[in-house]
Amino acid sequence: MNQGLILPFLKKHSPAYGIAVISVGMAKAIQVQIPNIIGNFINTFRTGITVPEIETYALELAAVSLGYVVLFGLGQYTVGKYARIFEGDLRRRLFSHWETLETHYFEQHTVGDLLSHVLNDVPAVRQAMAGGVSQILQAVFLLIATLFMTITKVNLELTLISLVPLVLIPIVVVRLGPKIKQQSRLVQESLSQMSDMAEESLQSIRLIKSTANEAVEMNRFSAKTDLIYERSMRQVRLNTMFQALIPLLTGISFAIALVFGGYLTLHRTITLGAFVAFTVYLSMLVRPLMQFGNVINIFQNSSASLARIHTLLQAAPSISDPEDPAPVPEHAAIRIRNLSFTYPRATTAVLHNITLTIEPGTTLGVVGRTGSGKSTLCGILLREIDPPPGTVFIGDTDIRDLHRQELREHISYVPQDGFLFSTTIGNNIAFPLDPEQAGLDTITSAASQAQILGAIRTMPQEFSTVVGERGINLSGGQRQRVAIARALIKSHANVLIFDDSLSAVDTLTENAILETLGELRRQGRTMILVSHRLSSLRHADRIVVLDQGRVVEYGTPSELLGKPGLYANLYAIQSEGGPSIG
Amino acid sequence: MANQTNRPGPDQRKTMRDLFVYARPYKRLFVGIIGLVIIYNLTQVSQPYLVKVAIDRYLLVHHPVLRPLVEIGVAYLGITLIGLGANLVQTRLIASAGQQIVRQIRVDLFKHIESLSMQYFERHDSGRLLTNVSSDTTRISQFFTQFLLSVIRDGLTIVLVLGAMLALNWKLGLLSALVIPPIVLISVGFRPRLRKSYNATRSRLSRMIGFVAENLTGMRITQVFHQEQKQFDAFSELNHGYQNASVTEYRWDVLFNRSFDLLGNLAVAFVAWLGGLAVLHHGLQIGVLYAFISYIQQFFAPINSLTQNWNTLQSSMISAERVSNVLGTRPSLEDPVNPVIPDPGDPGGVEFDHVSFAYDQNPVLQDISLSIRPGEFVGIVGETGAGKSTLISLLSRFYDVSQGSITIDGIDIRELRQADLHRLVAVVQQEVNLYSGTVADNIRLFRSEVSMDQIVTAARTTGADSFIQQLPHAYNTWLTPRGSNLSTGQRQLLAFARTVILDPRVLVLDEATANLDAVSEIAVQKGLMEVAKHRTTIVIAHRLSTIRAANCIYVMDQGRIVEQGDHATLMALGGTYFNLVKKSAIDVAQQLA
Repeated sequence: MNQGLILPFLKKHSPAYGIAVISVGMAKAIQVQIPNIIGNFINTFRTGITVPEIETYALELAAVSLGYVVLFGLGQYTVGKYARIFEGDLRRRLFSHWETLETHYFEQHTVGDLLSHVLNDVPAVRQAMAGGVSQILQAVFLLIATLFMTITKVNLELTLISLVPLVLIPIVVVRLGPKIKQQSRLVQESLSQMSDMAEESLQSIRLIKSTANEAVEMNRFSAKTDLIYERSMRQVRLNTMFQALIPLLTGISFAIALVFGGYLTLHRTITLGAFVAFTVYLSMLVRPLMQFGNVINIFQNSSASLARIHTLLQAAPSISDPEDPAPVPEHAAIRIRNLSFTYPRATTAVLHNITLTIEPGTTLGVVGRTGSGKSTLCGILLREIDPPPGTVFIGDTDIRDLHRQELREHISYVPQDGFLFSTTIGNNIAFPLDPEQAGLDTITSAASQAQILGAIRTMPQEFSTVVGERGINLSGGQRQRVAIARALIKSHANVLIFDDSLSAVDTLTENAILETLGELRRQGRTMILVSHRLSSLRHADRIVVLDQGRVVEYGTPSELLGKPGLYANLYAIQSEGGPSIG
Repeated sequence: MANQTNRPGPDQRKTMRDLFVYARPYKRLFVGIIGLVIIYNLTQVSQPYLVKVAIDRYLLVHHPVLRPLVEIGVAYLGITLIGLGANLVQTRLIASAGQQIVRQIRVDLFKHIESLSMQYFERHDSGRLLTNVSSDTTRISQFFTQFLLSVIRDGLTIVLVLGAMLALNWKLGLLSALVIPPIVLISVGFRPRLRKSYNATRSRLSRMIGFVAENLTGMRITQVFHQEQKQFDAFSELNHGYQNASVTEYRWDVLFNRSFDLLGNLAVAFVAWLGGLAVLHHGLQIGVLYAFISYIQQFFAPINSLTQNWNTLQSSMISAERVSNVLGTRPSLEDPVNPVIPDPGDPGGVEFDHVSFAYDQNPVLQDISLSIRPGEFVGIVGETGAGKSTLISLLSRFYDVSQGSITIDGIDIRELRQADLHRLVAVVQQEVNLYSGTVADNIRLFRSEVSMDQIVTAARTTGADSFIQQLPHAYNTWLTPRGSNLSTGQRQLLAFARTVILDPRVLVLDEATANLDAVSEIAVQKGLMEVAKHRTTIVIAHRLSTIRAANCIYVMDQGRIVEQGDHATLMALGGTYFNLVKKSAIDVAQQLA
């Protein structure tokens, strides 16, 4: 177990845990009085009992159980509650840690993997803190208390002999518990395999019907259901075996108690009451012994989880800000000098020897095929990716000497996929601002600049319309325009980067947005437009054409059109998108 | 939804009948299971009884004989073994029957859904159908594996324990039965609270998880706009909400379990008091008192389990109702009773004869007549909504024509079995569906009879082979439906390879609209020409360049064919086609100007 996460928490909440330990301990000490009271009660019959005595015993039983239940409930609740608080803290730590990690980390780990830490590992640790701690407290106290009672009030030999089969219980739990758990995971897995398959199949139903492929799909599906059957039955076999073994061991132990205890009673070594109490004590021992097994399983399971979480929290950001950051130069050119870049663990470079200057207030168009390095270039300018030292400058300051937050204050960005959060359109547009800055006027004007205002006005709830998960309720073009509005609302940014963000809007809208951009250029803002639709780049001052990470062409649009090359080729192909007439 | 089905109404009774149809083959098995449950319960009841016998007959008398005690010990062990054995066999049997039943329901359901007409899929959310197949069937299986088992086992336990108590001493037995109502009351009373707090926790958990998932995906946006604090605050709020709900849920859980505990111990005190008095005044045997103290505690677990499983019944019934609704839907298109079997040598001529079609009483196609000779290449053009895709759906018989007829080689398609029709006509859709599976599986659509050679040949023919070879594991590369491992152009080529394997007489291509880069566009065009060879080919064209060479181009407008002829003829005509061509040319020219 990794104690670095847990111990400080336990220390911080030691009074609460102290109360929990004391109440569970007292509860168990009280609980073990019950069989003893019953035993004494039965013994009193043999010596002659009175009605008030019977009533006293019954009341005593009632009082003892009330005390036990209240104390035990209190202890149990306290442990469970603090485990949940621990769990919440752990999730907050994970989230805020993730916020410090850069894009590269998220490209290396799938969202599903990271999420599984929140969904599986954190609850596993919670389980150890709640179920594990609470069970071990109960088991230890109850076992001690019960053994104390049986040895002092009943008989040592009887206790030892009857206990022999019972000590096998924790072993059974430790052996079979993980197997059962693993099997139930396999069952869940086969269920989700079936549902994935069915989902895929339903989505392709047109294809299946039009290729008369129903029978093939049917067979695939029934193979999945067969797998579920097999795995479920295996789980049932393990489960029933487990459910039979524990009572079997208990039964053997009970039979021994019956014979040997009876023998002792016959010989007056123990009283009849002690004999009866002993049978009750035996049944009370089963649970703590099972709990010992459970606790071992839980701790094993959660220490793996805890280790994973620990690793996760150890992952250091690979980009760090300088201790003494330089101020970001105002209205300075972006200079790239001999920039080559290879991703960690990759063999080939994505960018080769790029040299490029973007003067303040100018617009640069970036053209190139998929994989030519356009997005890497954007990532470097945003410093999501660290360029080698001495390659990228704002004015004369190396981008690596700047604090990322200050750098990003100067840049606004529209991502390729038009990513939106599943909140309202208004909140999405106002995302870069603090809530108090984000007045409706500001939002409206950004929306209007991005040519999305008209569409928003037609929506029933206007800016309060919820965009759905990843903006699913909007069309691709609308998503891109909301993302553009989000970038434009950051009016203090001198540099705007558009990473292929006009691909899904129609020609008319594109023209209108380009007009907005023209206005921004007149305000002296620097713009970098990445696109493979050349029409979006017609107002660019300069165009750079990238191919396999190299600058292959550079110049004004008309210069590039004049000489044979990739740009001219692309131009020819794109103007041939429709048939030429005449 | 829970409200309307709280009480079994006539619908539920029908649903119940539908469920039991699936259980019928296991009728005998269920009888056997009940037998085993009875055996198990009898052994459970006899254990305290044996102790009682030991106490009253051998321990309270003063014969120092050990033998009968040993016999009782052995009997106790024997009974335990028999009981455990019966319980083990019984649990496995019922689980096996339940699992087989649910497997059958799943297979039938899936088969049935696949047989439904396209119209059904357009009108029903596929997510909903998926829920039917996966979670609804799982809940139905719980009816057999949990609810039935609980009713039989727990019901019998209560009856037998009560019976044993009454048999030992009917007065004390009746008085002890007084604890049953409070047990039921606590169990039933807590249930809604427990469920409510459980549901609250679940829904807050899923909101919190949804938020994390989304923020992990969009982390760079948060970072680029430097909004880490804002997002962290929003997360903390959701996280806190979930934490509180979870603590509340746990509190109810503890309260419930401890109340049950308390009641159990109070019941013992109660029996000790009543029994003690009975021993004192009516000469009740002490062993009987012991047995009563044991028995009274055996009421708790079964009653709790029964109330818990009442909820299982509720949710199983709702699920069963949904499933039986789907199973009860008849496909709106059925195969003819005496189908015409097409001759595989037929050439593939397609004829639309005065076809009209209305969807929900809205006319979509009106009086369409077209005749395509075997092996011809024809194009269909028109604005969005002109009815092009509907035409194709009618040819695939996803819907039936409202008037007129469609024939292939002179056979009305309504006289063919749908499977035969779909072997004759293959459609390559705009959106190419991929399966989770290897490239090879995606090409052969999992048909085991298609050999690897055939796959490679088909891929070579259509030009898909070259990009497949560049994938990390070539034909064994794993594809996923949503994964962006393949570009639009590559998906099209893959679909062409599929078509070559299917080898239809008539090929219909709904051309993809998405931007293809220049290289892909040329490759797709080449692939198309290869697939079209020796087949009747109908292309719904979005890029007019694709069909410039067509034998005939049909121009559609508002559900009618307004012009037809080859490219030159139509251009000369100066009508709709001419305008379409001009418009798209202007668009492009404008964009680049």
